[in-house]
Amino acid sequence: MDTPLHLDPIRLMQEIGSFQRKLATGMNQLRGMREPGYANTPRELVYSEDKLKLWHMQGDRAPTAKTPTLIVYALVNTVWMTDLQPDRSLVRNLLAQGEDVYLIDWGYPDGADRWLTLDDYLNGYLDRCVDTVRERHGLDAINLLGICQGGVFSLCYSAMHPEKVKNLITMVTPVDLQTPDNMLSHWCRELDVDLFVDTLGNVPAGLMNWVYLTLKPLRLNQQKYLGVVDILDNPVELENFLRMERWIFDSPDQAGEAFRQFIKDFYQGNKLVKGGLVIGGRKIDLRELELPILNIYAEQDHLVPPDASRALGRRVGSTDYTELAFKGGHIGIYVSGRAQRDVPPAIHQWLRARD
Amino acid sequence: MSGQSGDFIKDWQGLAQQSWDAWLRQVQAAPAAAAAPPAGNDALQRTLAGLRGCFDWMQGVAAAGASQPGADWQTLLRSWAGSANQPFTQAFSGIDSTAAQGFVQQWQAWLQSAQAGGFAMPSATNGPVPAFGLQREQLMEQQELAAAIQAAAQANARYMALIQRANAQGLERLQARLAQRDAASPPIESLKALYDLWVDAVEEAYAEVALSDEFRSAYGDMVNTQMRVRQLQQRQTGQWCRELGMPTRDEVSALGARLQQLRRELRERGGNDAAAEILALRREVATLKRELAALAAKPAAVVKPKPAAAAKPKPVAAAKPRPAAKRATATAKAPARSAARPSSTRPRKR
Repeated sequence: MDTPLHLDPIRLMQEIGSFQRKLATGMNQLRGMREPGYANTPRELVYSEDKLKLWHMQGDRAPTAKTPTLIVYALVNTVWMTDLQPDRSLVRNLLAQGEDVYLIDWGYPDGADRWLTLDDYLNGYLDRCVDTVRERHGLDAINLLGICQGGVFSLCYSAMHPEKVKNLITMVTPVDLQTPDNMLSHWCRELDVDLFVDTLGNVPAGLMNWVYLTLKPLRLNQQKYLGVVDILDNPVELENFLRMERWIFDSPDQAGEAFRQFIKDFYQGNKLVKGGLVIGGRKIDLRELELPILNIYAEQDHLVPPDASRALGRRVGSTDYTELAFKGGHIGIYVSGRAQRDVPPAIHQWLRARD
Repeated sequence: MSGQSGDFIKDWQGLAQQSWDAWLRQVQAAPAAAAAPPAGNDALQRTLAGLRGCFDWMQGVAAAGASQPGADWQTLLRSWAGSANQPFTQAFSGIDSTAAQGFVQQWQAWLQSAQAGGFAMPSATNGPVPAFGLQREQLMEQQELAAAIQAAAQANARYMALIQRANAQGLERLQARLAQRDAASPPIESLKALYDLWVDAVEEAYAEVALSDEFRSAYGDMVNTQMRVRQLQQRQTGQWCRELGMPTRDEVSALGARLQQLRRELRERGGNDAAAEILALRREVATLKRELAALAAKPAAVVKPKPAAAAKPKPVAAAKPRPAAKRATATAKAPARSAARPSSTRPRKR
């Protein structure tokens, strides 16, 4: 018979039956499970302000690096992706390499944070965190490791405060936000963001999650869960899955004014590339960035396409610019086995050569 | 599938449906002996929703076969994904949350509560009607709201039509791929294999549609018109609040904006000098701490009378800088893994 489909009813019935048996058995595993925690690497709170907390992460041994590194995460989702679980932790692996790591937890904005601008975030919160770390170490400048939107923040901050940043690492950071394959950028190009923020105030996390899910609706909302059936009898894998689900959906709202400015200047205006970006009255020009830069991007990133990140190399003034391509996606760059093996040592080696 | 008995498949379909329903009841009802899961319910619900979507998909394929025994595979697929069954559209509308609730549900819920309070929705069909008299402002605003709701409904329909287009184009891609499979290709023998092929095809089609100018425009319209409706709803609610002497959203927002501006001004005025002084003091303290630590690291020098014999701490060898390879692709060795330690607790959000 010349047909690509050989769907035998009896076999299909067996397939459905097997599927349901696995589910029924696996549900007993799911019932008793508590919500998985993150890696919770030991840490010391060294500064806090409003919802923000600045943590000094503690390794098994004293750092060998002379210059500390501050991780600047995005405002969307939480920084704990970098310290997800003990065997999948960028933070732990950097500490194990001898780096001295600080990270900013932006917290969960509420109505009181509705009016925070990018100026408040960068020249306020971030600047005070940088100063705190500098003071603790008696240094003029420290390293920044910016992730995704946090990478954009780190670029802008470095341009505004070059004397305070020694080395800059950007991970999965969009620079050209209007590459043809950037779906998020495409969708918000005709958004009336003034109306949007005036109406919503802070942008709800649930709405942000809905947008992210609709980037790949079937894969992220349906097919992904089909794979869970096969790991229901594996407590370790199941716990890993639930931990990731927690991280994905346990996300903060976005402070309205900062969101408005980010969409206008970066997604709609693409001002990092086209120029004209001003934050808190200070002009930001990537060509003035002369510090060493390591730009790490993910080759299968559906949120920040590689071209969006690679655009940085053509625009910075630095003569010490390095790119690192990672074979994986936007999240895999932190949690995959390959990421644990490749990324922290690469960062460490790059930093050590410039410490 | 074409050579099998339609009755058998119908029986199987019924059995499978009953089986799923029974299983779902069992899962949803916690056993008496076991405590209800304290957390992870969201994951459980989403897992079930996603799996139910897959199950519906499988059942739809089987049902298409049952309704047309003997039909060729292309007819079967067309029957399954016909106008009454939009599996991608259904999957799409299955993604929901309170914050991103569909427009129709939102405004209907609002309308019901407003109608309970005596609000009558004017028709927007024939355009606005000039109003006058004591109720002029309210009537004009109600008409404005009605027009906004209509515009949003139209924008939503336009958006959903594009989602349905992705569904149809996905099916065409699936059919084309199945037709292209040559004799050497292994046949599709399981629903899971067919499902995965369908997902690939529809996601590709959706990505094309979603990156089109038409989609961009429709997406913008959908969001903007929804926001316009919400804005008008907020305005009306604000008026009701004012009449009842309650604080309005606008008032609270204005206070928040002023407070934030005051905080900025305070920092600018008083913060700079103090910050510089604090910075200098902290640096001094940090220097003193390091000197103290260095002194503390030489206890032998105090105990033993001969300083020359005391063990000196070895300075950490500075790493030799390597020349940076411009735009080089770095490779690295595996890192040493740190052992897991007892977790510190982190306060939960909210």
